[in-house]
Amino acid sequence: MNPELFLKFVSISFQKQVTYRFDCFVGIVNGFLYVFIFTSLWTALYSQFDATVHNGFTLTAIITYAVLVMAVRISFTMDDSIIYRKVMDGSIAMELIRPTSFFFMNLAENVGHSLFHIMARTVPIVIISIFLFDISIPFEPVRFLAFLFSFLAGYVLISMLNFAAGLLAFWFVEIFPFMLFKYALFTFFAGGIVPIDFFPEFLKPLVNILPFQYMLYFPTVILTGRIPLTEVHSIIIAQLMWILIMGVICTLMWSAGKKKLVIQGG
Amino acid sequence: MQHDNIAIEVKSLRKEFKVSSSGKGFLGKLQALFHRRHKIITAVKDIDFKISRGEFVGYVGENGAGKSTTIKMLTGILVPTSGTAEVNGIVPYKNRKKNAAKIGVVFGQRTQLWWDLPVRESFDLLRVIFRVSRSEFDRQMDKLEQALDLKPLLEMPVRKLSLGQRMRCDLAASLIHNPPVLFLDEPTIGLDVLAKENIRNFLAEINREEGTTIILTTHDMNDIEQLCKRLIILEEGRIMFDGETEFLKQKFVHEKVIEVEFHEDGCVIQGIPGVTVVREQGCKKWLTLDNDNSGIGEVIGTIASQYKIKDISVKEPSVESIIRNIYDNRVRLSTPSGKSFTE
Repeated sequence: MNPELFLKFVSISFQKQVTYRFDCFVGIVNGFLYVFIFTSLWTALYSQFDATVHNGFTLTAIITYAVLVMAVRISFTMDDSIIYRKVMDGSIAMELIRPTSFFFMNLAENVGHSLFHIMARTVPIVIISIFLFDISIPFEPVRFLAFLFSFLAGYVLISMLNFAAGLLAFWFVEIFPFMLFKYALFTFFAGGIVPIDFFPEFLKPLVNILPFQYMLYFPTVILTGRIPLTEVHSIIIAQLMWILIMGVICTLMWSAGKKKLVIQGG
Repeated sequence: MQHDNIAIEVKSLRKEFKVSSSGKGFLGKLQALFHRRHKIITAVKDIDFKISRGEFVGYVGENGAGKSTTIKMLTGILVPTSGTAEVNGIVPYKNRKKNAAKIGVVFGQRTQLWWDLPVRESFDLLRVIFRVSRSEFDRQMDKLEQALDLKPLLEMPVRKLSLGQRMRCDLAASLIHNPPVLFLDEPTIGLDVLAKENIRNFLAEINREEGTTIILTTHDMNDIEQLCKRLIILEEGRIMFDGETEFLKQKFVHEKVIEVEFHEDGCVIQGIPGVTVVREQGCKKWLTLDNDNSGIGEVIGTIASQYKIKDISVKEPSVESIIRNIYDNRVRLSTPSGKSFTE
């Protein structure tokens, strides 16, 4: 994929988001509300017990986690119905007649989308939260670099997950129920609500064979300092492995789906 | 290479679609929840053809005959159920991207331009997509701007263009990388006469000057008559005619039709020698000569002297009427390529 082309499409997608400014304002309020609800819940829960550390999290640590996991999640905002809409209105045909990779064009569109949400939502929410809540992040440049890597890998993984889910539109007329299911799985198993450390023992084997924890949980706990720097590389390697696996899944689905594709509207 | 002169080669190409049908009404839909009935629809049924470089081929047929489906397989959008296809020696459904770089495509009902961007920016994006060098791009754009009169449109966002303007831009967009093969799926749909004429002139020109191979699907028979030397007619997914447009016209030229409107008093005509009434509509009748055209003057003379007539004219068969004739009457005759009109 030609980098110039990729950047051009990132920029187009970014500009398209700018036109939805009101959406964005609502998005900030909505994101902040989530942060507020979760931090309040944790504060209330922790006040019920004598112990100050639960599953390795102090109150400060869990609030830091709640804020940052929401920040990462908002940064990962992408429109997961793009492929579905393109199949439904048949406009996918106009993309397939170009010598470009469908996956990478889709990724570029997502990146533009996310860049806008990072600027317009993540940054203000993080800044407000720093003033309002008791947050502590270790300031180590290496850690921050590791986080960036892990964040990007998580981003690619989510993109692939959405791509694979979107491809279901090649088989099914309606994929909304699948998307809901994906959303529920992702929110829970990626640690979007409760960190994985709080999961009951019987769920842990399941969590470990699913890719979701590499999408939100690990990038977040690398940043919060929960993962020692010496272990960071093994997490990033696991993320890369999952990118490989998801890549194979996406490729297989794409080549099988092509045969099923019907172009709507002639 | 043996492919040197062949632009497109299609061998027993077939495309089936699986369609699920649910019953009618509430109960039918309810039943479909548990038991879904599938139907296989074959849009393209084992067709074969070869198109040489520089040809201008009309690909016609009624709605649902399989024209667009064929085009979509040749452009790499759809994967055939069976059979093979090669465009510029590339298998489009296996090497979609490689194929896309060497073809231009216009779907009249869609646009490949970016709805919110000015036309100029859309072109610039396509330049990057197709990896056209800046100098090459400028040269090609100069040509296209002139031929399609694009100058006044370049700064307009695509959504503000009229259909005719958009079509000119879409045509230009499909030619930015100067592809050797151009697929046009109903490029003149919904355009006014003048806009159609401009587009036809342009297409004739690039076919002549650049040697671009053009495959055109259309419902407008004037497109065919003016542009396409060769015609492939599809019916229900099968090729029912593949040959020269001129041949088709020649074959039917003796079927000149005399259109006569008789006066209300003398509407009943009996037995004009050498003439068959093919159609009647009140006092308007359409006649054909039984033998050949030599006696046309005599016949008109006879009619004029024996009956009161309001109007009389001789009609050349248009390709459209010929095609309708083939559809309606299933005229059986063999073509130079040995294909039969009907099965």
